[in-house]
Amino acid sequence: MPDPAPRGPTLKSAMDARGRHRIDAARIAVVGAEIVLSVAAITGVVALLDEVAPVTGLGVLYILAVLVIAVRRGQIAALATAVLSVLALNFFFIEPRYRLTIADSHNFVALLVFLVVALVVGRLAATARTQTAEAERRALLASAREREAMILAQAASSFLSGENVATQLERMADRQTTSTPRAIRAGITAAPETQGGELAVRIPSTRPGWLYGRPDAGWDRASLERLAQALARLIDLARERELLAERSAAAEAARRADATKTALLHAISHDLRSPLTAITTAASGLRQEGLPPEDHTALLEAIEAESERLARMVDDLLDLSRIEAGAVNPRTDWCDLADAVARAAEQVERRFGTHQIELDVPADLPLVRADAAQLERVFSNLLENAVKFSPESAAVRVSGGSGGGRVTVRVTDSGPGIPSSRRSEIFEPFVRGTEPGQGSGLGLAICRGLVEANGGEISLQGSAGKGSTFAVTFPLVAQPVEAR
Amino acid sequence: MSTDGQRVLVVDDEPQIVRALKVILRGAGYATQQAETKQEALDAVAVRPPDAMVLDLILPDGSGVEVCKEIRRWSGLPIIVLSAVGDEREKVRALDAGADDYITKPFGTDELLARLRAALRRVGEESEPRVRIDDLEVDLEAREVSSNGEVIHLTPIEFDLLRVLTRHRGKLVTHRQLLHEVWGPGFENETHYLRVHVAHIRAKIEPEPSRPRYLVTEPGVGYRLRED
Repeated sequence: MPDPAPRGPTLKSAMDARGRHRIDAARIAVVGAEIVLSVAAITGVVALLDEVAPVTGLGVLYILAVLVIAVRRGQIAALATAVLSVLALNFFFIEPRYRLTIADSHNFVALLVFLVVALVVGRLAATARTQTAEAERRALLASAREREAMILAQAASSFLSGENVATQLERMADRQTTSTPRAIRAGITAAPETQGGELAVRIPSTRPGWLYGRPDAGWDRASLERLAQALARLIDLARERELLAERSAAAEAARRADATKTALLHAISHDLRSPLTAITTAASGLRQEGLPPEDHTALLEAIEAESERLARMVDDLLDLSRIEAGAVNPRTDWCDLADAVARAAEQVERRFGTHQIELDVPADLPLVRADAAQLERVFSNLLENAVKFSPESAAVRVSGGSGGGRVTVRVTDSGPGIPSSRRSEIFEPFVRGTEPGQGSGLGLAICRGLVEANGGEISLQGSAGKGSTFAVTFPLVAQPVEAR
Repeated sequence: MSTDGQRVLVVDDEPQIVRALKVILRGAGYATQQAETKQEALDAVAVRPPDAMVLDLILPDGSGVEVCKEIRRWSGLPIIVLSAVGDEREKVRALDAGADDYITKPFGTDELLARLRAALRRVGEESEPRVRIDDLEVDLEAREVSSNGEVIHLTPIEFDLLRVLTRHRGKLVTHRQLLHEVWGPGFENETHYLRVHVAHIRAKIEPEPSRPRYLVTEPGVGYRLRED
């Protein structure tokens, strides 16, 4: 879209001409002088040619003067030129010369014909001139309106897509023209802040703003006012939309918090109840008299195992509440990832004796800055998950390495993998695997919370149908050196 | 090891836990005594000092950390702290305040009794210059370490670290304590020294260094040489 600004001044004068005919003395003097000069010039030419051609034929040259004035100055001036031409022709060239009387009636007819022709030609030329001017004016008006419409359309589309009316308004004005100083701009301020020669027009929106246009770029008050009116309506609509969006976001947040609370209560009531039931049942079973020693042992083991499960669940809930409250408070120190993994593997193997955990974390892996106890919890959660989701006796592998400014530990299981549709949600609390009895659904949420609180990242990598790999990554930091 | 006559003060305000602890301790041959609050605990120690104390960190009238601080002003009585998972900060404060060791709830009987035994064994009493743990043998006098009869070469610093842990075997040795005893005053915060040297020691003494059996990490707190 070409910038229509340069055509502005022409538009302005055309609109003045249409509006009010200001007849002032200066203008009459200029037109008068033009008429006299043109008639005088033709008279000179006719005088030169007087010797070679008959004067009645040469009289037609005055039509030229009438045409020029008609095109330049319109019908009234053309009329005046025609009359002056007849007078000049009569005075200078028709016998008796240098008098305004006509001796020959033949010459009189010729003069009359000339006058009529001059008038008709003058009128035709003047009409053509008016029509051209009108067409030009319409074209200019159309392009001015188009410019306004474009600004409004841009404003409307940016308001609809954007979040903040004030910035959108700034940007809207910005997009309109890239030249500096900007031909038109807008801002939401209480008082106008004009820059060098700008016109300021108030935008009458609920929270008023100002529209600034540069007259030298073709902006006049009338078009700015039209634009301001339309912008005001758009701004009000956009504001209303903003308010509605804010309200609905707050409502959505509240709804989600509610959903989390409900899920939490559900998880607590369900997950805590089953181990409690098992413990109570086993304990009352122990009261039976004459219980064979192996049953006695089995019941005691059940109580121990279920109590431990219960304790872990409560620990998970506490961890999660700390994470959600932003109260993880890591005790950051130099940590050996291999050490944390070893501790975690030992715990998980003690609990689930069925799986072999392959450890391939180099002992010389760079140290990271983190809380060692929290790291251990991260890896024991990941390993517990890996063991639960892998078929019995299938391998769970932990590997480590560094590169690209990071230190990474990967935990890979041989489970069914996680479908891509669920990958984005697995780090959310209370999201569980598809099979029942797979834990609280808090493990990965806790992992993510603890890792992130320690400045690391956790991600799920390649999981194409055969196992999942969780990668825990920490930034590689300059390694400390021993002073002695 | 005989526990005859040794008395353990249990400080906790949960009746069920106190009851269970008393049963376990009595079963292992200790005499028991109980206190429910910080004040009761301090009074009990002042009136008739026990041989050891098992202390919960959360008491109705204060923190177990305050009890540790108070008692350490005038007594070296072994203190084992009961702590919950995730309470690392409080646990470390208790150790800094003078507690000897900690045990994380829920704990097993064996674990509790092992900690108590180690805490009651006085460091100075150790006359045995040679300590054997499974296949690992540490000769403190000859500064020699061997595994399955094969001599292991340790650097002087590695041996010093292992020596401190051996003298306190079964007991938690905090980072500060290790750094202070091996590197000397002013090095107590250089925990990265420990990470590196412990990894080296493990590579030499552990049958499977990636799964340490002898030299155990207590994350964020210190190290422990397993007793048996």
